[in-house]
Amino acid sequence: MIEGIHLTPIGDGNVLLEPGEGLDPSAPETIVAPVLDFLQRNEARRLVYDLKTVRLIDEIYYTWLIKLCATCRIANVEMVTVNMQPAAAYALSLTLDQPPPFTCVLDIHHLR
Amino acid sequence: MAKETPKERPTNQVLIELLMQNVGKISTIIEKQGQSIFGHKNLLSNNEINDYSLEFLELLTMLLHAGEKVDRRGPEYKALRQFFANFSQQIQVRGGDMDEFVRYVHFLQGTFLENLEADKSISFEKAREILLVLGTIFNDIILEVFHIYLEGKEKTIEAQQEELKQTSTPITEIWEGVLTLPIIGSLDSSRTMIVMEKLLSRIESDRARVVVIDVTGVMAIDSQVSHHLIQMIRATGLMGATAILTGIRPEIARALTSLNIDLSAVTTRSKLSEGLKEAFRQLSIEVSRPGSKL
Repeated sequence: MIEGIHLTPIGDGNVLLEPGEGLDPSAPETIVAPVLDFLQRNEARRLVYDLKTVRLIDEIYYTWLIKLCATCRIANVEMVTVNMQPAAAYALSLTLDQPPPFTCVLDIHHLR
Repeated sequence: MAKETPKERPTNQVLIELLMQNVGKISTIIEKQGQSIFGHKNLLSNNEINDYSLEFLELLTMLLHAGEKVDRRGPEYKALRQFFANFSQQIQVRGGDMDEFVRYVHFLQGTFLENLEADKSISFEKAREILLVLGTIFNDIILEVFHIYLEGKEKTIEAQQEELKQTSTPITEIWEGVLTLPIIGSLDSSRTMIVMEKLLSRIESDRARVVVIDVTGVMAIDSQVSHHLIQMIRATGLMGATAILTGIRPEIARALTSLNIDLSAVTTRSKLSEGLKEAFRQLSIEVSRPGSKL
């Protein structure tokens, strides 16, 4: 059990990550290791990060996503975000000067 | 007992007496001039002009009765200003302009002054005081009406701008999962915000996977506009949809190159139809004529 995160294997090598209220994105170092452990134990090929409940992606949250993505890459796991909210996408697009390192997909049904 | 001379009477009293003595004459002149100013363009009917003239004289008398000095915060003064505000709004609604209204207010003032000159019992000092009172009242009226006129114009311009913003960015679901966004005119920050807000909401609600942004209607492009375009494409990508940019005219392409704008990461097509073909290709949709596969 990782605080603030719910991980569910959804088949076909996919693991769904649902962030909860208790997630502290300002301390990614303490979270990425147990996440990676879960992914490896479940032989995951893709981490699906559900952003449905994330209203705003600020610099801290974006750094957390990048660090998680980098960790996944080391373990040969692809990271995909789904359900990014319009307001979050708008705010994030204002701060980005290059595309994010992870793939963005509309929702879980559009995963390829 | 000393006889009261006109010089000793308060200014408002002199004006009230002047009005009472000449009410018939003044109202006739006002009505006649009103018909000449507002009648020829059918801005007001004769009955309306007569009603307005009488109401004005009534309100002015009430204001003068209220006290020797004009109280701008008093209900009588507010009523007179409101009367002129309504009057001017009606003139504007019917296609009249400020010139006609200001001419009319000047004429009202002039009518009083002419009658003042005719009254030989009024001293120079008193005439000066009356002139000051009338000047204050009528100048305030013109100023008030001018503010209302400007507010009206500003509201109209704002409403037109808003309507233009709404209608100039029609987002259409041209196929299931495919949205088209033709951009016409210029893209400033405020418009980009509106367009992006609408576009991202539509991507979410329509579950769109491809957005074709057509810039055929964009006449000029600068670094700010191109930055806004890239921002829009990036936000679309973050939502999980793909953006295809179409209709980049040669002069726009040249401008983008000279601005060092890198669109290599953006899918571009020459025409909207080509963009749609690309969208269909990405979604593995085949459009063919009936019987062409036979």
